Amino acid sequence: MNALLNAVDEAAALEHLHELGCTDGLPAIVPTLRRVDRMVLASGLDAELVFGEMGPAGGVATVEKVAIAAVMAGCLPDYMPVVVAAVRAVIDPIFDLTEMQGTTHCTAPLIIVNGPARRWCGPIASGFGALGPGHRANASIGRALRLAMINIGGARPGVSDMALLGHPGKFSYCLAEDEEGSPFPPLHTSFGFAPEDSVVTVIGAEAPHSVVYSGDADDPDNHLRLLEVLAIGMANMATNNAVLRNGSVVVVLNPEHAYILSDAGLSREDVAARLFELAHHPRAELERLASAFAGRAGDGELVGCFESPAQILILMAGGSGLYSMVMPSWCAGAHRNSAVSVRVETDPSCEIPLERALREE
Amino acid sequence: MRDGINLARLGIPAVALVTEDFWPQGDFIANSFGMPGIPRIRLPHPVAGTGVANLRHVAEEIAPRVLAALAEG
Repeated sequence: MNALLNAVDEAAALEHLHELGCTDGLPAIVPTLRRVDRMVLASGLDAELVFGEMGPAGGVATVEKVAIAAVMAGCLPDYMPVVVAAVRAVIDPIFDLTEMQGTTHCTAPLIIVNGPARRWCGPIASGFGALGPGHRANASIGRALRLAMINIGGARPGVSDMALLGHPGKFSYCLAEDEEGSPFPPLHTSFGFAPEDSVVTVIGAEAPHSVVYSGDADDPDNHLRLLEVLAIGMANMATNNAVLRNGSVVVVLNPEHAYILSDAGLSREDVAARLFELAHHPRAELERLASAFAGRAGDGELVGCFESPAQILILMAGGSGLYSMVMPSWCAGAHRNSAVSVRVETDPSCEIPLERALREE
Repeated sequence: MRDGINLARLGIPAVALVTEDFWPQGDFIANSFGMPGIPRIRLPHPVAGTGVANLRHVAEEIAPRVLAALAEG
């Protein structure tokens, strides 16, 4: 059981949470016992169950503590299995959470949701504005992970979270893949999961960079030009992917761009392979613009940004039009900013009818 | 800081070099990992990219303190 705080009313409780540094700066739902209990119940797990430690503070993430974060973030109980999966993903040692929280880079955990949990634990938006405001599940699930990273992991700006500026995705950064609309198999199947599995993939990522491309169906090289601009966006010489190298990157294709590529006969693997080939820079450019890091680049006139096409995560989301997005990454830590995928366990979860929950307030 | 803590846990004398701007983070990590007394030496900020002459100056200034801290450890 966590320590209980007392306050005369909700407004005073919220001010106290702000004063303690327990919020992200925005108003939060006060995590009363009843609300937290309901969130724990929705997880189907024991409140004291331990997921692991969250760095850099080394706080122990229990179901109850994660439920507190979910309540504060404004999650519905239905979202809890996805929040749990996201927390388990960042606790995986491969995620290098302690280093990721402490770096000067702006990295934030991008949560990508695949499978039926997109509906059962949401709906989690994958279409227009999926990374923007107006989608409760996206906004509150990403925020719940951030609040867990603050209150369990101990991230405080300028003290333990040394991001020089950060980015708005550090408040919340969550979307689903538009699996039904995509010409490609769902992202999680490329990690070995079955299409019917629900999976959360988390990767530390920069803010999304917009990539504009206006297609021309009469141009036989239409798809090649699109691939070229995507490669420029995801690994230009201003990114860690070009300079530190050998980390991951996320490419979110909008439907129009996804179909330009698939209509040219390209699979997701083909797209990744071509982007991998394109993401090379002349050694002279690396030495000229990033001399501090050029020494790590080995031999050869061309220096590759990635070790493998598998480091390029490709999914489809968003409305249809001219703009896709790429999210370069930090490319550091012992595991070079690897993505971690965790199955969303919905079997033990418990449905909490919203109407009843509201009456109980 | 993590490197210093990990080395110290292996029984290897270690001193963490921490720049001025990262001093509070150094304290945070030292406390979080249960080694609040891990030896550390304060460097000016920034050090990286300030040129060979300045790096040499900083190194000459802190080297005796590093050796002293290791000897104490």
